[in-house]
Amino acid sequence: MTSHPSMLTKFESKSSRAKGIAFHPKRPWILVSLHSSTIQLWDYRMGTLIDRFEEHDGPVRGIDFHKTQPLFVSGGDDYKIKVWSYQTRRCLFTLNGHLDYVRTVFFHHELPWIISSSDDQTIRIWNWQNRSLICTMTGHNHYTMCAQFHPKEDLVVSASLDQSVRVWDISGLRKKHSAPTSMSFEDQISRANQNQADMFGNTDAVVKFVLEGHDRGVNWVAFHPTLPLIVSAGDDRLVKLWRMSETKAWEVDTCRGHFQNASACLFHPHQDLILSVGEDKTIRVWDLNRRTSVQSFKRENDRFWVIAAHPEINLFAAGHDNGVMVFKLERERPASAVYQSNLFFITKEKHVRSYDFTKNVESPSMLSLKKLGNPWIPPRTLSYNPAERSILVTTPAEAGTYEMMSLPRDASGAVEPTSTHRGTGSAAVFVARNRFAVFNSQNQQIDIKDLQNTTTKTIKPPAGTTDMVFGGTGCLLLITPTHVYLYDIQQKKQLAELAVTGVKYVVWSADGLHAALLSKHNVTIVNKSLEQISTLHETIRIKSACWDDAGVLLYSTLNHIKYALMNGDNGIVRTLEHVVYLVRVKGRSVYCLDRAAKPKVLTIDPTEYRFKLALVKRHYDEMLNIIKTSSLVGQSIISYLQKKGYPEIALQFVQDPQTRFELAIECGNLDVAVEMAKQLDRPQLWQRLSTEALAHGNHQVVEMTYQKLRNFDKLSFLYLSTGDQGKLNRMAKIAEHRGDMTSRFQNSIYLGDVQGRIEMLKEVDQYPLAYLTAKSHGLDEECQAILEASGLTEEEITLPTVGKPVSPPKAVAPTFKANWPVKSSGASSFEKALMADGDETAVADTNGFAEEDLLGEEEAAPGTGAIDEAEDDDAAAGWDMGDDAVPEVEDDFVNVESAEAGAGGSEADLWARNSPLAADHAAAGSFDSAMNLLNRQVGAVNFKPLEARFLEIYQATRTYLPANPGMPPLVNYVRRTLNETDSRKVLPLIPRDLESVLVNEIASGKNAMKANKLEDGVTYFKKALHLLLVNAVTSPSEVQEAQAAIRQASQYILAMSIELERRKIVGSATDISSFSDDKKKRILELSAYFTVPDMEPQHQTLALFSAMNFANKNKQMGSVLNFANALIERGTNAKFKETARKMKAIAERSPTDPIEIEFDTFGEFDICGASYTPIYAGEASVASPFSGVKYHTKYKGTVCKIDDVAAIGAPSSGLRLTV
Amino acid sequence: MDPFGSEGELVNIHTAFIQGQYQSVLNDFDASSFSDSNKLPIQVLQYRAQCALGQHDEVISAISDSDAKSTPDLAAVRTYASYLSKPSDAAVTEAKRLAESSSDNLTVQLLAGTVLARSGDPESALQLLQKHQGSLDAVALIVQIHLSQNRTDLAVKEARSARSFAQDALLVNLAESWIGMRQGGDNYQKAFYVFEELAQGPSSASASSLIAQAVSELHMGRIEEAETALNQALALEPENSAAVANKLVLDTIAGKDTAELEKKLTSVDKEHEMLADLAAKREAFQAATAKYNPKFEP
Repeated sequence: MTSHPSMLTKFESKSSRAKGIAFHPKRPWILVSLHSSTIQLWDYRMGTLIDRFEEHDGPVRGIDFHKTQPLFVSGGDDYKIKVWSYQTRRCLFTLNGHLDYVRTVFFHHELPWIISSSDDQTIRIWNWQNRSLICTMTGHNHYTMCAQFHPKEDLVVSASLDQSVRVWDISGLRKKHSAPTSMSFEDQISRANQNQADMFGNTDAVVKFVLEGHDRGVNWVAFHPTLPLIVSAGDDRLVKLWRMSETKAWEVDTCRGHFQNASACLFHPHQDLILSVGEDKTIRVWDLNRRTSVQSFKRENDRFWVIAAHPEINLFAAGHDNGVMVFKLERERPASAVYQSNLFFITKEKHVRSYDFTKNVESPSMLSLKKLGNPWIPPRTLSYNPAERSILVTTPAEAGTYEMMSLPRDASGAVEPTSTHRGTGSAAVFVARNRFAVFNSQNQQIDIKDLQNTTTKTIKPPAGTTDMVFGGTGCLLLITPTHVYLYDIQQKKQLAELAVTGVKYVVWSADGLHAALLSKHNVTIVNKSLEQISTLHETIRIKSACWDDAGVLLYSTLNHIKYALMNGDNGIVRTLEHVVYLVRVKGRSVYCLDRAAKPKVLTIDPTEYRFKLALVKRHYDEMLNIIKTSSLVGQSIISYLQKKGYPEIALQFVQDPQTRFELAIECGNLDVAVEMAKQLDRPQLWQRLSTEALAHGNHQVVEMTYQKLRNFDKLSFLYLSTGDQGKLNRMAKIAEHRGDMTSRFQNSIYLGDVQGRIEMLKEVDQYPLAYLTAKSHGLDEECQAILEASGLTEEEITLPTVGKPVSPPKAVAPTFKANWPVKSSGASSFEKALMADGDETAVADTNGFAEEDLLGEEEAAPGTGAIDEAEDDDAAAGWDMGDDAVPEVEDDFVNVESAEAGAGGSEADLWARNSPLAADHAAAGSFDSAMNLLNRQVGAVNFKPLEARFLEIYQATRTYLPANPGMPPLVNYVRRTLNETDSRKVLPLIPRDLESVLVNEIASGKNAMKANKLEDGVTYFKKALHLLLVNAVTSPSEVQEAQAAIRQASQYILAMSIELERRKIVGSATDISSFSDDKKKRILELSAYFTVPDMEPQHQTLALFSAMNFANKNKQMGSVLNFANALIERGTNAKFKETARKMKAIAERSPTDPIEIEFDTFGEFDICGASYTPIYAGEASVASPFSGVKYHTKYKGTVCKIDDVAAIGAPSSGLRLTV
Repeated sequence: MDPFGSEGELVNIHTAFIQGQYQSVLNDFDASSFSDSNKLPIQVLQYRAQCALGQHDEVISAISDSDAKSTPDLAAVRTYASYLSKPSDAAVTEAKRLAESSSDNLTVQLLAGTVLARSGDPESALQLLQKHQGSLDAVALIVQIHLSQNRTDLAVKEARSARSFAQDALLVNLAESWIGMRQGGDNYQKAFYVFEELAQGPSSASASSLIAQAVSELHMGRIEEAETALNQALALEPENSAAVANKLVLDTIAGKDTAELEKKLTSVDKEHEMLADLAAKREAFQAATAKYNPKFEP
């Protein structure tokens, strides 16, 4: 039998012969006892030797970890059993008693017992707590090679070279050593009787069964973890399976295959398998139920001596002549494929299932792949074809097999796939909608096959290709041990190659632009042309990876989920307890499959990598957002930013002044540095700041730092060099004040102040120098005075020749007035973003609405007032199709299929038939009927303003698909009913939906109101009205929303028009006293009416405020009081209210209006949209059927001034917006 | 053996032609390396590629009168080129004459058929094309003519019969995709797969397949993806009128200002059907408004 590819070696050590092995139940450790007397403790995950224990004399054969305590036990050829602590790393005590080699030692699963078997033919049980021998079991008449406790019951099984296997009952021993109170009198009697029952004096353990069947010595024996089964291995090269009941035990079957002594055997902890090893250098796996060989693995030179299984996970270890190997029987990575929001995967039961990421629902099984390959070998890969909804599965069984099958539409349980195509190949993957590639590693050939499984093309891959994966549309990635090749199937040529060793998996990003090549310890990120972008190394094994939507690679190692950015930066996202295989990341959720092939969702905090990504991409807004919304402040992120050369950004995170100072200096942000230095006020910092500021040429900061440092000399020199004479004078004064003569001298030199210098010299009794100074400057009187003072005459002094006096240089430019012009380096775009954010209020202030700089921030959420008052226009929805007189309705729909030749009607014609909406008719190009509809629905008569809208809709619904060369492109019709194929239901796409009108035109209009750009505002709102008039929405609630928007826009237009009218009359005049009384009255009225239309509260506040100020200016104190009251009551702005209160106080003294205006604060009235005069409740009026704005009756029949489309007072059925 | 068949000599150049890689048709294939019997088809393909690139006059001048007389293929090419450069009755008459005299010649079928279809006589074009002997090019043309007549039902029939003898040929896939774009629903997605496969394959990408991909995405409401593909197409061929026209549509849907693009379209192809259509619609709008007589308050 050949070695099997699916046995996966995870770890190998090199040492002398390994005789005993034990897995740690929790940690990734194994103990290996060696023939050389050493015990090794390995971390098999990291592949490192943790410790060595060397106290035995001679070979150590038995070894075991305690399940819960930090202990292990060993037994050796020195007859000793040693109990060790791996924490303190020493032997705790030695159990002596055996008279020959100790073969095996095992802890009991719950009692403080150790069982040992020895060549002295005994089996002994020890209590390791009181370190005593509690039982010696005799009976074997040759070396006992192995003895183990039953995992649950009070049984022991032993194997001996006397060719027998014995099962012992040790319940007596347990009773004896459990609490004595539980022992009744009868028990004591019966035990006393038992005592007598055993002729050798062994009372605690009695032989229950003797199993004979082996023809030679038996080397190993083991219980099944759950079933009453025993397996044994012997020198007769056989592995025997035994079964026992309460009363008897018998041989079930024999596994034949080893051609040398079988050394050890065990049951698979979870599967129906038996594993055995032998001196024939093989590990063999047997089917427990059929006793047939499932697979085998052969080493070239090393005989196997022992095998052990991990109690929890799917790991085994086998000891041989030259060390130990840790291996898995099968890959645990479930085969899976992700398509859009679905994961397709194969469970441990070999069922195909899917998992929906959006709903977090796992489907029932769709197919069963029981028949695929070997039952013990799971499928390796799965490739999904969304176009055909089929899957392609490969399994390594039978030297590689692939099978293609369709998934059923609905998951109805694990059914056998019906029509499948299969063949031989080690890798298979879909490369196009209707093609797949199959790689055969044996004959090194790739076949491109169609869906009927016939080969359409054959490709010779580069020599040594080991695997093949999807390589982007029409391409394959071919993997050799040292390289990866990008191969174009169409052109049959190699497009690129990249030297990456040991690539095992390739993960493509969702957009197909990038791929991650995963090796055991490396991740290489490449683009779709196989150009390397970055690479990173992990010391721990990399298991899987997936891309998040932003282009961050998340990958899992044995114990972490980590991220990698395109630039190779990586970091830990979270730790893992168990190995998982990542399949998708979405927001904070990581979807993965665990080793049991169960989908799992793990939560992660993506903040760190999102932040770093934003940093790399310079998306400062996003960074800002992250900073604001998360607690991403920490030394690591700061040092990261600093390391990556973004001190200015790190600056934004730091609170600590010292760090801030350092960062500010580093990025040359003097303002911040000064601020921080002031806070800290330490000479050292000022010193550094002065140096930095000097380098910047920022002498004002330098000056300040020198002042802080009281660095007078430097200050003086600074003033000299910047030409600041005034300050230099002051420095001289200060020097005098301080009595610092040197400084005075210096300053006087700088100043060219001879007199001052002489004074100073005289003061310090340096008369010769004073004289000399005076003399050289030709100050004869002064000379005389000095001479007199010192009682000398001129003749008595011999003078050196004095040259011309030198005057100090003077600064040419008045540098001190300003700093050197400095390039603005401080404010990075990031900071600007930050700044802008902080200054929102400041920006809003500059809206220039009122002359007084009082208009503060009015950020109140858009008021709900307008919506509350929106008319209940539900009635419009009640109109049925008949009223809209759709030209043709369904019943005379002509089925074009019936005609045999000639041209048919285009889809556009259908739209007009299928819909009563003007927008759909416009899209159909049937402008006539569209206008007709609008005329009926809202009395539209003036269509000029709608021309752009009509054409826009028409133009948005026709695409031009190039088809045959030479022919005009095919016109296709864009639909909003994407999934509809029934020609009676298809409808066109209408551009600019409600949402876009709300966020663009309506919002812009409101901003224009805020910014006092009323003409623009009117334009925006009118545009909004026209867009909404010819539109289509999807739901009744959207209809309401649209109606509300129409009404709101109309009211804003009305308000703005009133105010514009006022401005028109006032013109540029600031004072209205020059106008006639009539005009004055009109102006004041308009100002008041501006407050009437139904705008959002914050905008109404603006109108009220403006009206109040205007009235105040014109001494209309009565109106002032009204508006002030209204402001106080309804205003949304604190500053305005404050002003209003003040105004109110003033106005209350004489609340009268010199000019009587027609404005009743308390009355209910509307404003006529044409004359801008009040229409009181009860007064006859007409309204525009579209905008709803009211007019005096005399305007009936004219075009509405607000919406520019509808005829005022025209009959209308109401605007329809849904089909 | 069918020279256009999957193992034939012409398969690569023909595929490149279908994929809209006209430069490749002209530059990557040397006529002299083909067998004699295939020289003419290669020549015709290359002439057609030149026409597709707008080099009509070069084609007309390359074919002498005598050549045209002796070889109906070349006569058809010349008529085709002259019609494309400037539609004229003479060309149509010549096409009709060729259709009469050499109706079993494939080149004549295709090229005269195109001229007839363009000249507003799709019935004759169809009649001529029906005589083809299993040519997928003819099938594709028939499908397109049916579609331009809004006869999706007939197009489906034609494509179905072609699929029965040509399985999975590129042209059949394309023709089905064109039909799918009319049918909508799931067929958008299917068409998208075909276009995308062409557009994203490094060996098959061309502006026209990118445009097709974009159009299919547009129809599925994937505006951003469509924009990406269109921009790629425009990067390849900034003057491609189909790309500009579809970009115009896309921007309209996205609510962007399109005046600039309309100007550009006028500059690259002032006879583009979109422009003609829009002009006609503007007139129609004016005509329709004439029925209403709005009164304005002074």
